[in-house]
Amino acid sequence: MSTRSEQATTGMSDATLLRVAAPGGRRRRLKTSPQTVAMLLPGLAVLAIFFGLPVLDLVRTSLSSWSGIGPREWTGVDNFAEVFSDATIRSALVRSIVMGVGVALGIAALGTVLAAFVSRGLAGSRIYRVLWFLPGVAPPTAVAVFWALSVQPFAGVVNVVLGGVGLGDDHAWLADPSTALIVIIAVGIWQGVGFAFLIILGAMEEVPVSVYEAAMIDGAGGVRSFFQITLPMIRPVLSTVVLLNVIWAFNGFTLVWGMTRGGPGDSTTILPVLVYKDAFESSNFGVAAAVSVVGGVFLLILGFAVYVFGSRKAPDA
Amino acid sequence: MSTQDLTDTPTRRSAPSRRPRLGQLLSQLIAVMWTSLAVLPFLLIILLSFKSNTDIFSNPLGVLHVDWRPENFSEAWSGPPGGQGFVQYVFNSVVVTAIGVAGCVFLGSFTAYFATLASPRVRALVIAGFLAAATLPLIMLLIPYYSAFSALSLLSTPWAVGVVYACLCLPTSVLILHGFYLGFPAELREAAAIDGLGLMRTYLRIVLPLSRGPLVAVGLINGIFVWGETQLAIVLLQAPESRPIPVGLLDFQGQFSANTGAIFAGLTLATIPLVLLYLVFNRSIAKGIALGGVFR
Repeated sequence: MSTRSEQATTGMSDATLLRVAAPGGRRRRLKTSPQTVAMLLPGLAVLAIFFGLPVLDLVRTSLSSWSGIGPREWTGVDNFAEVFSDATIRSALVRSIVMGVGVALGIAALGTVLAAFVSRGLAGSRIYRVLWFLPGVAPPTAVAVFWALSVQPFAGVVNVVLGGVGLGDDHAWLADPSTALIVIIAVGIWQGVGFAFLIILGAMEEVPVSVYEAAMIDGAGGVRSFFQITLPMIRPVLSTVVLLNVIWAFNGFTLVWGMTRGGPGDSTTILPVLVYKDAFESSNFGVAAAVSVVGGVFLLILGFAVYVFGSRKAPDA
Repeated sequence: MSTQDLTDTPTRRSAPSRRPRLGQLLSQLIAVMWTSLAVLPFLLIILLSFKSNTDIFSNPLGVLHVDWRPENFSEAWSGPPGGQGFVQYVFNSVVVTAIGVAGCVFLGSFTAYFATLASPRVRALVIAGFLAAATLPLIMLLIPYYSAFSALSLLSTPWAVGVVYACLCLPTSVLILHGFYLGFPAELREAAAIDGLGLMRTYLRIVLPLSRGPLVAVGLINGIFVWGETQLAIVLLQAPESRPIPVGLLDFQGQFSANTGAIFAGLTLATIPLVLLYLVFNRSIAKGIALGGVFR
C-alpha cells in the first residue's frame, strides 16, 4: 500500500505535488479547461473595465488640462511639474502620510494589545469580542458627524468629560490647526481598531498552544512569551494589517470631510481632500488627476516595501 | 520520561497563572475602558437624539429633568425645509446597497469557485489580479469614474452607482471566498460529475447552496462598506434627491445647523439598525473577516 503510493508520488510532476498538498485535494487537473476560462471571463472583464481602464484614463487626464466637461487639452507633464513645485500639494502629501502612519500604527498597537487579552482568555472575552467591533460597523460619516459634535467647546461630550476631571472644557479641538489632525487620527483609530483586532486575534489563535506550554516550562512569563513568541509568529499578519490601514487612512477622505472639510485653513487637507477640492470645486481635473497618480504611486511603493518586510520568514516559523 | 514527570505537569501549569495577578487586573482595566469607549458613543447618540436643542447644549449627559423631544425623529425623517428627508436617503441607500451586495456576492462566488478549478498558475494569476485591484486606492478611481459617468449621462443615478459598488467590492469578495472554496471537498464535485451534472449546474445546485454561510459573511462585510461609502457617492450622486444616507448626513450637518437634535436623530437612524444587524450576525461577520480579512 505504502510503496504503491510512493511510486505514484515519485511519478508526479512538481506541479501535481503542489496540488495534492493543497487543502481540498484537487487532483488531475494539469491544464485549465476552456470551460473554466470562460467562467472566469466575467470577473476578469470587471477587473479590466472597472480597475484597469480607469487607471489608464486617470493617467491620460493627468497629462491634460480638463475642466470636467468638453474636450481635454494635452499638456504633457505640466500638471506633474505643478504637483512637485506646489507647496500646498507637498504639505497635503506629508499630512496624508502622517495620517496614514499615525492611524495605522495606533490601530496595530491597540489591536495587538486587545487581541492578546482575548487570546489569553481574559474574563469577559466573549463579550469583548463582539463589542470591540461596534465602531467599525457605524457609517464613517455618522462617526465623523458624531465626534465633530462631541469635541465642540463647552457642550461637546468630550469637553464636558474633560471639564469634569478638571482639564478645561473650552478647547475648540477642531477649530485649532494644531489639534485638528490629531483628533481626526484618534477618531480613525477608534473606528478601525475592531477590524484589526479580529484579524490579529485570528492569527494569535493559530499559534499552537504547545509552543506557549513549552515556553512556560522553560520559565518564560506572560510578557516575555508575548514578545518572543506571539509577536514574531503573527508578524506577517501584523504587517498586512499595518499596510491595509495605511492605505485606508491615507485615503481617509470621509472622516476629514465630515469633521473639518480640510480646515481650519489647510491644516487637515490630506491628498484625497485636495483631489476633491481641485477637481470638483475648482474644476481643475488635470492637476487633481496628477495628484491622484502621485498618491497612488506612493502607496504602491510603500505597499511593496511593507510586503517585502512582512513576507520575510518569521525567525521561528 | 517517568510517570512522576507527567503527574507533575498540572501543578507547573497552574503556578504561573496565580502569579501575574496585577497584570491581569491591569488588562481587565484597559479592556473595560476600551469597551466603554467603543459602546458609550452609541448610547449617547440615542440619548441625544431624544433631547431638545437646549438640553443637548446645557445638559448633554443628564437623564433626569430632560425635555424629551421625540419629534427630532419625524423632523429628520421628513428633512429640513427645502432639503431632502431621511426617507429619501434610506430609499437611495437601499437601492445602492442591494445592487452592490447582490452583484459582488454572486459574481464573486462564481469567479472564486471557478478560479479554484483552474491550474495553479492560472489561479495564482487571477488571484494576483484581484489582490492588486483590492489594494488600488479609491483616490485613483474617483476622477475616471466621474468622467465615465458624465460621458454616459449616469451622474445622480443610484442604480448605476450600485453597479460600481458591486464591481468595487468584487476583489475583496473573490479573495475571501477563494479562501473558502480552496477547502471545498473535491469529492462532492466528482460525485456531481459522475451523476452527469455539468460545470455550471454543479456550481448552481451543489456549490452555491453549500456556501451560504461564507456568502452571508461576504455580503455583510461588503454591505457595511457600501452602506457607509461616501467618497464616491458624494461625487457621483450630486443631485440632492439621489443621495444615500452617508452623504445625506453631511447635508444635515449644514441644513440642520440650528437643530442638533434632528442631526442626532439622523445619526441614530443611520447607525442603530446596522448595530442591531451586526449584533445578530456578529459570528458570521467575524468568521468572514478571519477567512480572508488579510487577503491570503
